[in-house]
Amino acid sequence: MSDQSPAAEPLAETPAQPDPAHAPATIAGTVGPPLSHEALTLAVLERFPNVRTHVHRGELTFFVAPEQVVDLLTFCRDADEFDCALLSDLSGVHFPAGEHVIERQVSTTGWPEHRVSRDVGVVEVLYVLRSITRNHWFRVSVAVSDVEGESRLPTVTHLFPTANFHEREVFDMFGVVFDGHPNLERILMPEDWLGHPHRKDYPLGGVDITYKNDKFIPSPHERDLREIVE
Amino acid sequence: MSVPTQPPTPRPDDELWVEGADWESVVDAVDDERLTVNMGPQHPSTHGVLRLLLELDGEIVEKLQPLIGYLHTGIEKNAEYRAWHQGPTFFTRMDYVAPLYNEHAFCLAVEKLLDIRVPERAEVARIILLEFNRIASHLIWLATGGMELGATTVMTMGFGLREHILDLFESQSGLRMNHAFFRPGGIANDLTDDFEARCEALLEMIPPKMRDFEDLLRRNPIFNDRLRDVGYIDADTCLAYGVTGPILRAAGVPWDLRKTQPYGGYERYDFEVPTSDLADCWGRFEVRVAEIDQSMRIIRQALDQLPAGRVMVEDKHIAWPSQQSLGADGVGNDPEYIRHIMGESMEALINHFKLVTQGFTVPPGQVYLPVESPRGELGYAVTSTGTNKPYRVHVREPSFVNLQAADVMSRGGSVSDVIVIVASLDPIMGGVDR
Repeated sequence: MSDQSPAAEPLAETPAQPDPAHAPATIAGTVGPPLSHEALTLAVLERFPNVRTHVHRGELTFFVAPEQVVDLLTFCRDADEFDCALLSDLSGVHFPAGEHVIERQVSTTGWPEHRVSRDVGVVEVLYVLRSITRNHWFRVSVAVSDVEGESRLPTVTHLFPTANFHEREVFDMFGVVFDGHPNLERILMPEDWLGHPHRKDYPLGGVDITYKNDKFIPSPHERDLREIVE
Repeated sequence: MSVPTQPPTPRPDDELWVEGADWESVVDAVDDERLTVNMGPQHPSTHGVLRLLLELDGEIVEKLQPLIGYLHTGIEKNAEYRAWHQGPTFFTRMDYVAPLYNEHAFCLAVEKLLDIRVPERAEVARIILLEFNRIASHLIWLATGGMELGATTVMTMGFGLREHILDLFESQSGLRMNHAFFRPGGIANDLTDDFEARCEALLEMIPPKMRDFEDLLRRNPIFNDRLRDVGYIDADTCLAYGVTGPILRAAGVPWDLRKTQPYGGYERYDFEVPTSDLADCWGRFEVRVAEIDQSMRIIRQALDQLPAGRVMVEDKHIAWPSQQSLGADGVGNDPEYIRHIMGESMEALINHFKLVTQGFTVPPGQVYLPVESPRGELGYAVTSTGTNKPYRVHVREPSFVNLQAADVMSRGGSVSDVIVIVASLDPIMGGVDR
């Protein structure tokens, strides 16, 4: 967090404050009732006509293009009828290109096989926006390429300082680079770690261990499971 | 090993990095006025393995940087390789001080994807156990917070009272922590016959002990001096940094998901959302102590309306055969059930076998399910592709998010205030690092 202020700045007497123009009222429901999914959708489509919406299990999702994210999130934060002052969550899901296969596993007496085939691999970045004053929430979903170098999104840390840790986590786990982030470093994995563990092409296991007779256990994709079972 | 390689990102020149070996160069890089101090990860007052990089001007904190990840265990990744019903066993190990909340949020998310509602008895039983867990978690906060101020009596009292709550959990789930007691579709076993008596005994035991706590702390001059006007953070800054839970409520915002967006049957209970306008560490103390009272209020109402009946959904495709509880004679299986699957019904045996080895499948979809944990909004973002395993589970951990606010709360204060501020945030490193 602290990286937002330059190192040369003198001692800050008061903590860094967010823009007071968007200060929310402190009691839930004082600004107005929660907006329905239809009202939220209409208001967004009026300004962003090419946004796709989807409702599943009572949850509203807006699918937007990467270049629209900052505009849409700024609109949702500042518009009086939205008033989403809280970015509840920011996470990623990786959908790799090609065949994604979960193989039948011998050691567990045959879980069913699962195959998905896609032309383009994407990392879906999900923003959960919440209004404390109006008590509604919805999800904004952005798909970026999962190819290294093309996997870039603009940061939203200037809108929501809380996105700092979240964006670092998505970078750490999926390799999505957030342009303009004040300190885009690995957060959960060690600094010198190679690869991004939550991507689907990153196998589980496969890390050297120094106990159990110092035997290297290969990752599941390279394991002969019959051998281990015996 | 087919791990994609990536060159380490070059670091900006003005960044300070302390990695043990380069301590000399870091010290050289600091100008005369500023001092960089590394606190943790093995410091007794940093709640486990939290590491703080402090930049100090004399005794005054200019900048605080939390460095985390020492307890990262890859729970989210592991869960992708396990069946849905195995999820609670993993997620309960995240926030180990409030394990039932992790199980609850995950189970509610899976139930939302499955579009099922658990039986009423399971719902009420969950709420009773959850609220006891909230009390236990706040007691841990009181105990460790007191210990970090040097008040070891508070520590022994807090942990002592929590042990009685853990006795209740042990009597129901068999484990004192990391219960894996909530399962998608209900709870693992029916409540024991003495459950209500145990709860009543606890409800009688807790209030006088809490009075002892308040007698000990409220007028204690050291406790007052250390907590009052320390770690100020107002409501707008809280929201900007994503801070929820008791810290947001201590800043005057009555935001409690149990009240504002009721889930899992909380709409049936009458309780208040305690707030404070102080927005400092003392305010958080007030809010948490008041929340213990409100939790007991919810438990009393829940005990009054605890119905009889099933604790698992009827659907045999989802319901884990939960009858297999350990009997009083120490024999592990329900003889009636064993007789049914082994002697009467081949289909029941096949169903049992498939359910236990493969688990159930969940329709494709994406849900985000937030619950009010003792530390704030605990959200499970679950993605299913229709298989018997989660495609992705992301956990929005309140400890992880709230920790970001430690910097703005600490600036301008002294080093000793940092201890109090981190304690008042109540981060659990198992939740922060996951």
